[in-house]
Amino acid sequence: MVSVPSRTPGGLSVTPADRAPAGRSAPPLPVKMVIAGGFGVGKTTAVGAISEIRPLTTEAAITEVAAGVDDLSHTPEKATTTVAMDFGCLTIDAQLKLYLFGTPGQERFGFMWDDLVQGALGCLVIVDTRRLDDCYAAVDYFEHKQIPFAVAVNAFDGRVEHNLDEVRWALDVAEHVPVVVFDARERGSVRDALLVVLELALARARA
Amino acid sequence: MTAGGTPSGEHGFTGPGDPVGRAPAVRPFLVTSGRVAGARSGPQIPVETQIVATAAGLEQLDLLSFERHDIVAACRRPQSVAEVAARLRLHLNVVRVLAEDLRSSGLLSVHVPRADTARDLSVLRRVIDGLRSIPDSRGTLRDTS
Repeated sequence: MVSVPSRTPGGLSVTPADRAPAGRSAPPLPVKMVIAGGFGVGKTTAVGAISEIRPLTTEAAITEVAAGVDDLSHTPEKATTTVAMDFGCLTIDAQLKLYLFGTPGQERFGFMWDDLVQGALGCLVIVDTRRLDDCYAAVDYFEHKQIPFAVAVNAFDGRVEHNLDEVRWALDVAEHVPVVVFDARERGSVRDALLVVLELALARARA
Repeated sequence: MTAGGTPSGEHGFTGPGDPVGRAPAVRPFLVTSGRVAGARSGPQIPVETQIVATAAGLEQLDLLSFERHDIVAACRRPQSVAEVAARLRLHLNVVRVLAEDLRSSGLLSVHVPRADTARDLSVLRRVIDGLRSIPDSRGTLRDTS
């Protein structure tokens, strides 16, 4: 048999620091919000701006099984796609931890969203006004799923190419969906955009 | 006696010179015996699900190998499934499958969040209050200077 491979530089798993006595603390209740949008729109930047840890990346393999096809034996060529998902987290209090997941925006990852979005408090769809079509799929998806969401126009270099009414019109978002401008690099700005989504979620939960 | 160069990558392990940023391409679902979903039926556990090593898990740590060992070792304190996957550079669904295996062996406890959390008023209020208390920037308080 092969021997246990030596750990690669970076000491991934078991570092001496991990050898602390087993803490029997109860795990916090995890809640999550999803940050969606097209490639390069600022999802990871937004996560990083507010996360208390450096954003982590997990690679999730998506096969046709994940896409809802149950019987692999009749799938001659099993396509496996790997999508990278960046995420961070924020300790709300000792019993509550907020996770923020940045999810790839392309339409074909819709099934991934199902997996990820299940149980989410809400979602922020980040938009680059220079590439509005990148976010149609996300807007459609969250409207269809009736998940509280807001559209956040990322003000690259502090400016937005279109006014918000134009963005709303172009995206054809419903009236109850907030459209805000924010700066994905600014912690306070990301916080406020997330709060807009959470206020929606609160209103829905009250209803 | 390999002529020239070191035998590397035979089992998909990264060699010393290889980049560390990626999970090995070959192995992911080998360690789950090809399973892409856990033993229990129904939806997979959410990515934010917290997993923690049990006392039995830590006792038996040395008996575990490879990914099972690493997962239990990484869970001395509660972690989300996503964090474990990221930190160990394993595919998310591999961690999900193995976490369920380890739970059924009593080595890991898996805390699946309640499904209705997203509509829980008190949870939402706590998240809102918690976020509101976050200052604009990461720096130390400016008005002290």
